[in-house]
Amino acid sequence: MMTHLTHEKLIDYLHDALSPEEDALIYAHIDACSECRSAYLAETQISELLRREAAADERELPSIVKARIWETVRNSAPTPLERVRALFRPAYALAAAALVAALVLIPVTLHNGVASPSIDAAYYFADHAAMNGTIPFADRGSAASAQFETIPASDQTAVVAVPVVYTADAR
Amino acid sequence: MHGKALATLALAFTLTGAAQAQDAESVLRDAASAPRHLSYAGQVESVEYGSANSHASIYRVEHRSPNLTRRWYLAPQALYGDSIITRATTSYDLDVRHHRIIVSNDDTLEDEVALDDNFALLSSNYRIVPAPAEEVAGRKTLGFMLINRHTGQMCMRVWIDKETHLVLERQAYASDGAVISAMRYDQISYTSNLPAQFFNVPKEQGFATLRGMDHELPSNDIDAVARAAGFNAVGPKYLPEGFQPISGDVSEIKGVRSMHLLYSDGIRTLSLFENARGATADLSRFTVHQTTVESHDARYVEDGPTLLMTWERSGLHFALVGDLSRQEMTRIAESVTP
Repeated sequence: MMTHLTHEKLIDYLHDALSPEEDALIYAHIDACSECRSAYLAETQISELLRREAAADERELPSIVKARIWETVRNSAPTPLERVRALFRPAYALAAAALVAALVLIPVTLHNGVASPSIDAAYYFADHAAMNGTIPFADRGSAASAQFETIPASDQTAVVAVPVVYTADAR
Repeated sequence: MHGKALATLALAFTLTGAAQAQDAESVLRDAASAPRHLSYAGQVESVEYGSANSHASIYRVEHRSPNLTRRWYLAPQALYGDSIITRATTSYDLDVRHHRIIVSNDDTLEDEVALDDNFALLSSNYRIVPAPAEEVAGRKTLGFMLINRHTGQMCMRVWIDKETHLVLERQAYASDGAVISAMRYDQISYTSNLPAQFFNVPKEQGFATLRGMDHELPSNDIDAVARAAGFNAVGPKYLPEGFQPISGDVSEIKGVRSMHLLYSDGIRTLSLFENARGATADLSRFTVHQTTVESHDARYVEDGPTLLMTWERSGLHFALVGDLSRQEMTRIAESVTP
């Protein structure tokens, strides 16, 4: 049984900053531990509150202030150096775009574990065939299933034990 | 008086028809669970037809009730000598070419409750119509056609041993009537003399034992499965008539939590997999075809009659697997919207 989650861990979980394995463990723990679930819910509420406050603080400048700023901009003549700089604006824009892209993409890539993992299509075929085990007259002895390379158990684990609640009279 | 006689005759026909339908259903129900109480040895031919490739195999089968089975592959050549021993929910796949035994567990193999439920689903979606009897593997059979109540199409035909009720031959059909899979016993003998030791896993010299895929009992509480996914899981808004969600589970593959929902009408099945971790399907060992799901790029591959379609939408990666036509699969995929 895992001990209660630390505040730091909870924050990391909330910001999707954990490895997939750790993320799954924390998810399962929050699901099972009411104390940590309360702490998690409280933390999500605080985050939401901060987000709303921040949004509310983004106030419009009074129109008179805006007008004065534009007037100053229009009246100020560019210096020769500014004229030269203006020629390089597209290059600045490209560099800035590259920087923004790097800042956005690097955390995404790291979050997904350097490169996004891929799941062998054979897993999907095999799992589909396996779940057909309870379908009347489904064929379980075909060559197709025998020819699939086996997916090692180390690559695949059931992480969530969902209670089985059969309702035999439902159909 | 004449009218009264006709009415009586009509009633008698109706009652006879109802009794026959009842009989057919009870024979089919018996057939679905026949291996639980029959022991036998035989030889089977099995073929799955696809537009890209087909799979054919011939295997010897020995079965001791209720749950010990051994299959020896005689063909194709690539599988010759391989065998699969199933002891209740555990299977041992003896791969002689690669000198390994792969051990896997599948709890669904012993799930009699779900089998009963799914038989009820089958009989609610399919009419069971008697077909001409034939001899299969030297045994007298009862033939039945399973006709979809919604489309009127025959989806399956089975020939059941008249005496034991074991399915000796089965053909499944696509919506256009083409055969997509066929299984037939070439030879069968019933026996109670198969010793249990016969199903022991041989201790082959130099064989490595590997762990294969494990399948725990899935849940039929689909809402609970969706909640357990850990992301905002979505399902199809369109399904062919008679299909309904029957089970699901959440597993972690290579650290990626993936939800699997199975839909069925009692014969045909459809699986929807989804993950929110950006894990795409690796289709490298198949011939890949490009298509679109709504305006999203999608790819599909075929293995025998089974089609796998994969696409991404709203940050979720989907894989849809089933034996339905590509048009039907695309229509279902397009209805998977957040």
